[in-house]
Amino acid sequence: MNLKEKIMVIYPELTDDDFAYPVGIIKIQNDSDGKGDYIKEWNHPTLAQPTEEELNDN
Amino acid sequence: MTISIKPTASGSTIEQDGSTILTVDGSGNITPSNQMYPKVPAFDVYASASQSISNSVWTKVTLNTETYDTFNCFDTSNNKFQPNVAGYYQLNGQIRFTNSSSLIQMVIGFYKNGSILKLGSNLRDIVSASPMQITISHLVYLNGTSDYVELYGYIAATSPVLTYTNANEANSSMNGALVSI
Repeated sequence: MNLKEKIMVIYPELTDDDFAYPVGIIKIQNDSDGKGDYIKEWNHPTLAQPTEEELNDN
Repeated sequence: MTISIKPTASGSTIEQDGSTILTVDGSGNITPSNQMYPKVPAFDVYASASQSISNSVWTKVTLNTETYDTFNCFDTSNNKFQPNVAGYYQLNGQIRFTNSSSLIQMVIGFYKNGSILKLGSNLRDIVSASPMQITISHLVYLNGTSDYVELYGYIAATSPVLTYTNANEANSSMNGALVSI
C-alpha cells in the first residue's frame, strides 16, 4: 500500500481530486533519494495531516 | 594583448597575440577561428533503467547516464543540474512512461532549488495508450553556485513506470546549455 492509499484509508472521504495537481489540497512527493514518498503539502481545511504513527498503522 | 590586421593573397586576417582569430576573404565573408566560440556548460543525460513510481506523486526522475557534460555540472548521484557558471540556461526535459490501465493525468515540471519552477505538458483524461512521452522546455537563470534544477514528473495512473527502452531517443532525459550571461 502506497502513501496515498494509506491516507485514503485513514480518511475515506478523500478522493483522487484531493491529490490532483494543481487543484488538489494534498501534495505527495518523492525525491528519489531512497526515503520514499512523503507528504510535501497538506492544505485540507478540516482534516489534520496524519501522523507517522497513523500512517504506519495502515 | 596585441591585435593586428594582416593582408593575405585573398583577403586579410585578424590576429590576437599572433594567433588568427578572424579571416576575411575578398568578398567580405568573415570566418572566425574556433577560439571565437567560448566553451560553455552543456549537458545531455538520460535514464538508462526503468523507475517505478507511485500513483499521483511528484517524483524526481532518475537520470543516471550522461551523453556529454562539458563542465561536469550534472550530478548523476543526486539527479540535478548545478552549473558552475552563472547565466541563462535553455533546459529541456522528457519523460517516457507506461501504465497498466487507467490514466488520469500526467505532468512534467522543472524544480529549482527544491520547488516547482515551471510546468511543461499537463494532460488530463487521456485514453491510455502507453508508452507515452511528455516534454518541457524553459529558459532559467542559475547563479553558478548554489542554484540547481531537477526534472520531476507526476503521473496519476494505475501502476505508472518511467520505462527504459533500447530506443534511446525515447527515454526520459534532460539536456541544456548556457545561452547567455
